[in-house]
Amino acid sequence: MNKKIAKIAMLLSISVVLALIESFIPLFNMIPGIKLGLANIVVVFVIYDLSIKDALYVSILRVILIGILRTGLFSISFFFSLIGALLSVVTMYLVNKITKLSVVGVSICGAIAHSIGQIIVAIIFLSNVNIVYYLPILLISSVVTGLIVGMAAKRLLEYYDNKSIY
Amino acid sequence: MLIKYTIQKVLTYMNKYDIRLIGIVLVIILLILFFTRKDNNYANVYYNDKLILKIDLSIDKEYSVNGYNGIVKLKVKDNKIKVMEETSKMHICSKVDWTNSGVIVCLPNKIVINFSNDELDTVSG
Repeated sequence: MNKKIAKIAMLLSISVVLALIESFIPLFNMIPGIKLGLANIVVVFVIYDLSIKDALYVSILRVILIGILRTGLFSISFFFSLIGALLSVVTMYLVNKITKLSVVGVSICGAIAHSIGQIIVAIIFLSNVNIVYYLPILLISSVVTGLIVGMAAKRLLEYYDNKSIY
Repeated sequence: MLIKYTIQKVLTYMNKYDIRLIGIVLVIILLILFFTRKDNNYANVYYNDKLILKIDLSIDKEYSVNGYNGIVKLKVKDNKIKVMEETSKMHICSKVDWTNSGVIVCLPNKIVINFSNDELDTVSG
């Protein structure tokens, strides 16, 4: 049990550091609403290696920590991230259970769910349905970022299977 | 060569279901783009980067604005606009066909016409 807690804590810190490093690189933050989401590598890893409960812990705690460190707790962008992260974890879990998609496909589905969650929050907060027109752009970027994150997660899982890090 | 190598490398990470998923998502994106496409209903005429006239393209009418070299005549018909007459050497902007998208530039007259959709303006705002 203690070993598991230590593992989750370590993975959480890795995901926070990845999210922070990503927010320092301007290239990944040029278009509002679109970012690479390197922290999701860890979330994908946790879904495959541990369980959905742990994945929810990791992603909710990451959103709260990033909120404290960068964007400000309970700001609008905090809720964007929170709803997006929750939807993406649940979607990735279900897709992994139901379909035969590999890590890359699961990660793409997670990214798409994240985008749709953001659109829903934006509609609620701004009470403007026209934001739906932003969806195609977000979907295209989701496919690209989901692909990159999924490839990285696949390499991580292969490496983890071969060698015992812990 | 590099692109081919990259695509091959990326494909080694995926199985056939992933490729199908990406295909389905791309089709959905295209469908959304196709069904939400709207024709522009306003033409904005700029002189010296200042908006001088906003034309409703649903009304067929002729307009004339003051350009740098004199009067520029515009005509609206069937939701499209065309520059009918202007004073310049090469007549680049009056050679542009009837249009409701893109941009019409008349450099000697310092006139720029672009298009907007009023319902969509709230998204960028």
